[in-house]
Amino acid sequence: MPAKRKASSNVRGSTKIGRDSAVSTPGPATPRSIGSSSDEYSDAEPSESEKENMKRNINSFSVENYKAKQRSHAVSGMDSASHHFGANDFSYLSLKPDHDNRPLWIDPHKGRIILESFSPLATHAQDFLTTIAEPLSRPIFLHEYALTPHSLYAAVSVGLDPKDIINVLDRLSKIPVPDNIRDFITSCTHSYGKVKLVLKDTKHYVESSDPEMLQRLLKDEVIGPLRVQGTEEITSASAPKMAGLVIPGTKNFAGVQQAQLEGAKPKEGENVQQEDIVATLNEDDDDDEDADAVHHFEIGDTAVETVQKRCLELGLPVLEEYDFRNDSHNANLDIDLKPSAQIRHYQEKSLSKMFGNGRAKSGIIVLPCGAGKTLVGITAACTVKKGVIILCTSSMSVIQWRQEFLKWSNINPSDIAIFTSDNKDKFARNTGIIVTSYSMVAQRGKRSYDSQKMMDFIQSREWGLMILDEVHVVPANMFRKVTSTIKTHSKLGLTATLLREDDKISDLNFLIGPKLYEANWMELAEQGHIARVQCAEVWCPMTTEFYSEYLRHSAKKKQLIWTMNPRKFQACQFLIDYHEKRGDKIIVFADNIYALKAYATKLNKAFIYGETGNAERMRILENFQHNDKINTLFLSKIGDTSLDLPEATCLIQISSHYGSRRQEAQRLGRILRAKRRNDEGFNAFFYSLVSKDTQEMYFSSKRQAFLVDQGYAFKVITHLQGIEDLPGLAFSTPSERRELLQNVLIANDADMDNDDKGDDMFHMMDGKSKAKAKKKANARRTAGALSELAGGQDMAYVEQNKSKNKELKRKKGEHNSFFKKLQRDQEKRRKALDED
Amino acid sequence: MSVSSLASFEYLEGLPGTTFRRLYLQPSTTLAIFRRMLPHLAKTFVMAMLYMTKPIPLTDLDLWVHPSSKRQPTEALSLLSRLHIVHITARTRDEPQVVSLTKAFGSSLRLALTGGGDHQSFGVPSNDSTTADVDLNFLDDYAQMQWEGILHFVVSSVGEGMRQNTQGPTPAVKQLLESGNLVTRARHSGGGITQAGFSFLLQEANAQVWTLLLLWIKNAKQMEMDSVDVLSFLFMLGSLELGRAYSTTTLTDSQKQMITYLVDFGLVYIPPSSKNQFFPTRLATTLTSDATALRSVAAGFDAAHTNAAAQKGFIIIETNYRLYAYTTSPLQIAVLSLFTKLTTRYPNMVSGRITRESIYRAISHGITSDQVISYLSTHAHPQLLKASAAHGGGPVLPPTVVDQIRLWQIENERMKATSGFLFKEFENQQEYDGCAKYADEVGVLVWKSDPKRMFFVSRVEQLKDYIKSRKMK
Repeated sequence: MPAKRKASSNVRGSTKIGRDSAVSTPGPATPRSIGSSSDEYSDAEPSESEKENMKRNINSFSVENYKAKQRSHAVSGMDSASHHFGANDFSYLSLKPDHDNRPLWIDPHKGRIILESFSPLATHAQDFLTTIAEPLSRPIFLHEYALTPHSLYAAVSVGLDPKDIINVLDRLSKIPVPDNIRDFITSCTHSYGKVKLVLKDTKHYVESSDPEMLQRLLKDEVIGPLRVQGTEEITSASAPKMAGLVIPGTKNFAGVQQAQLEGAKPKEGENVQQEDIVATLNEDDDDDEDADAVHHFEIGDTAVETVQKRCLELGLPVLEEYDFRNDSHNANLDIDLKPSAQIRHYQEKSLSKMFGNGRAKSGIIVLPCGAGKTLVGITAACTVKKGVIILCTSSMSVIQWRQEFLKWSNINPSDIAIFTSDNKDKFARNTGIIVTSYSMVAQRGKRSYDSQKMMDFIQSREWGLMILDEVHVVPANMFRKVTSTIKTHSKLGLTATLLREDDKISDLNFLIGPKLYEANWMELAEQGHIARVQCAEVWCPMTTEFYSEYLRHSAKKKQLIWTMNPRKFQACQFLIDYHEKRGDKIIVFADNIYALKAYATKLNKAFIYGETGNAERMRILENFQHNDKINTLFLSKIGDTSLDLPEATCLIQISSHYGSRRQEAQRLGRILRAKRRNDEGFNAFFYSLVSKDTQEMYFSSKRQAFLVDQGYAFKVITHLQGIEDLPGLAFSTPSERRELLQNVLIANDADMDNDDKGDDMFHMMDGKSKAKAKKKANARRTAGALSELAGGQDMAYVEQNKSKNKELKRKKGEHNSFFKKLQRDQEKRRKALDED
Repeated sequence: MSVSSLASFEYLEGLPGTTFRRLYLQPSTTLAIFRRMLPHLAKTFVMAMLYMTKPIPLTDLDLWVHPSSKRQPTEALSLLSRLHIVHITARTRDEPQVVSLTKAFGSSLRLALTGGGDHQSFGVPSNDSTTADVDLNFLDDYAQMQWEGILHFVVSSVGEGMRQNTQGPTPAVKQLLESGNLVTRARHSGGGITQAGFSFLLQEANAQVWTLLLLWIKNAKQMEMDSVDVLSFLFMLGSLELGRAYSTTTLTDSQKQMITYLVDFGLVYIPPSSKNQFFPTRLATTLTSDATALRSVAAGFDAAHTNAAAQKGFIIIETNYRLYAYTTSPLQIAVLSLFTKLTTRYPNMVSGRITRESIYRAISHGITSDQVISYLSTHAHPQLLKASAAHGGGPVLPPTVVDQIRLWQIENERMKATSGFLFKEFENQQEYDGCAKYADEVGVLVWKSDPKRMFFVSRVEQLKDYIKSRKMK
């Protein structure tokens, strides 16, 4: 197809996209679907319907071509078993004679790679594959990876040469690397780095050493109009030929190159620990940039993402690199890691991906919860040594981040400022670190004078590094706002679960950058960096009454019914009892507020949900951490992320957010950092209580998909041994159960509404859907008897347990010095009386 | 004792005494039964009695055995008498019990061991010029091809995607498999393989041959063949020499008829050039010898049907339900496809996953979860075995997966069947009420439907009497 490429840039771009999506469209079991994004973009450009058609034609043409080729191969190897595989029968591929010693298979169709983890070469291969491909599943013996355009861009940006990628793949593979995979790798990577996105003096420029490339971009109907009009140079740019392009100081750029090469050297030394395969590949592939001059044109702040997307479609992925060592424009920040801070090997590996060639690349680092993401962020900041802005999901974690910075680095406390609704500091000197939350930065509408001033300050500056914590939770449009308003040279996203049920994850590739590193959960657990967890799914049969109600009711009520299933309640009670006796600290998660309150009050345990006040929260958390009487804590989904409770060793989940894999993984994350994880034979426990024969079963299996692919095994428990003998088992009589059912059925919609409001970004919906939710709460029409309204029908005795929360409060009151004194005095007086 | 002989045993033991007498007329049969079907102690007894002219008292036999192991001689003797090899006099008051070999068996076995006679029961080697290209390899390949064809039919009779590029077995064999309930054509249960068929697949090759042959013998009557003829012919085949040509001219008519079937099974090869010759294949010659002799054929089948000891396991199953099988054999892939959703096939490996649907499908064919699990664990990859050994001999398969497979099966087994009797079509409401009430009183009522005037009871005797007495009134 090379001839076509030259003929028209559009055609070329679209054929490539066609292949991308064909290659990387994952099967139904894939947790992620990166790369299938091309469709979305075409949706966004309805005006191009004609071109669309052309695209499709070309797509079908190329796929057809490909299939035909494949079939002719397959005929020779066809046998009676072939029909089980359809097009995925690759038995015609020839095995290498020494295939036993090589650990990989490559699927020529989807770009999937299967790795034998027991092969002697596996550790090397694993390192290599995490660099060039997306890990799909990593259990014990065989791991699966997928080659996607994004993963390949990431590989190239780390400094791998396409040729070397193919060579190493070939060296590791049992079968010769199929031709189309070769093509795929080269076509995805050859143009990488040709176009750069540069930030200069708070303005964005598209830069390239090849003027024709820029001309092409300018002629593109998407990118062309996005160029900033008005600046003198650009006006002339509308004139044909090179005259339209600004040529900055050439010498300057050459100098940058020189210095950069030198700078790369010592960095190489740091990477010594990196496995040799990667090391050999880690040569600079900056040959393309040998050109003497660079040319660029300016684009608007808001256009950055569009340009990035469009460039990717054109097969010219934009490289975002920050040569921070040679940035004299921005002041250096005086920051270094404390000598006591030790970076673990995987943290180092992930950072070496980020700073692979001496420059800072934008991208995402994926580490399991509790594996030290914060330290990675801090180390990155210490490496860049420029102004850093950190975005967190809640004001609580803002404070945590600042504390961590002070703990691990030698930064001057006055250099690190907090920007929240309560705090609006600025750093004392000309550069520093600002920690803030997404909502503060992305807030729409009118702001207070202080925060407006602060925002202006943030927007007026150039930042060296932007750290985006829990990057997966933030809606794309909020990101867009954040990334377009704040000018940063490089961005680092941190997350544990790069998953969204709505497949918006691929957007992050443009908004931040490719995934640079993804850690292997099982490996970290083996090495003791995170806790080992025993996962179990407890099947709780529905009682007959509950099940018949379940069948009758609407979806929303159904959820409440399966959550309030008395058998589930008993299982929960039993597990809490069992683990409290073992000395575990238990967190119970319930999405449903009604259920949360019902469970917690009935069992007389402390609970926190969105409406719990900040002071009360802190008090409960402190008690949970230090008071050995308070061993169980009920949490709504506000506890899903960024709540740091290293004491917790057992987790019970009684209701959850449909089939959200992310929530499951995040919740598991709450116990991964267990303090006692390095004790001999220590296991943390994760129970998911599921009502049998309800939809919950289906959701539950969906939820587990991600963790199961990480190698976690969910044991199904159908019966808890000894549950009947538990003294004081709740709802053990039919009448109690009926009563519970009555209560559940009369629970009104407001109670059931499990949209927990709180200082939490995790489940925040887009503005639109929230407005809808509000609208819904209006008038409601129901049929029923008058007596029902009066409560005559549903009269039920309700047991009111005193909330443990209040108890804690009272206890707290007793500790007050004034009351203590009072008590002491009373005691004295009593004693005196007694003596008399 | 291997599985195969057990299967043939059960069949033989059920035969009437006259059949045995006729069977034992052939020296080859007696030798085969002696060699293949008898445990060591029984063999010793037979050998001891073979040349004895007089019956020996049972008490004497006891002397040969250590008193602490009384059970073995009793078992051996009962087996021998069941097979009509020995005759034990009835227990009477005045004479001690004596034991002797049955006449037919004794004389035939003596003939078999010493030679002589013109019974021709060990086949007649053909004197025609032997076809040069029929060597051992050729015969093994032939046998394997024929046998795999049959197995393939059993496996891939599942599903619609059946292709006829491997030549399937002849219609007669297909019919046989169907009548043996190894496969079914009935659409209601999804068609294809049955539970018996899957157990058949899991057997060792030798056992499979016997299973099929026994089916054939049972059907022999329908095909107007004498089952004794068939059996003795099979035993004769078992005593032939591999790689040697035998003449068909000396065979009886019914034997000639039989041999066409045996060609279908791959037990016998008749070169197209000379119809007067036949070659027994390894499948035939090992029929009555120890199963180990069959290895070389079995090896050709790739692990699917041999013991795990002889063949490396090839299946890896992960905790995420993905299954990877290091195999190239279409047969094994077909077996896997019975309970796995296969996705991709590489030159030496196939990958797939076990899903709820795939297990349901297997179960709908009658394959049980235990069968699936035992298949997976007998063929577990050495890496799995190594891992389990490293954990102190833990389970070979991931326990969660095993549990889940079982649970998937249980999920569909919630219905409990109660056998009993349905009463309906009562003449009037009164009668219905009375009966139902009585049934309830005596505690046999399981279910009733007043509007339909029907009820179901677990026991009927009392109710019968009650109804009778009602009628009397």
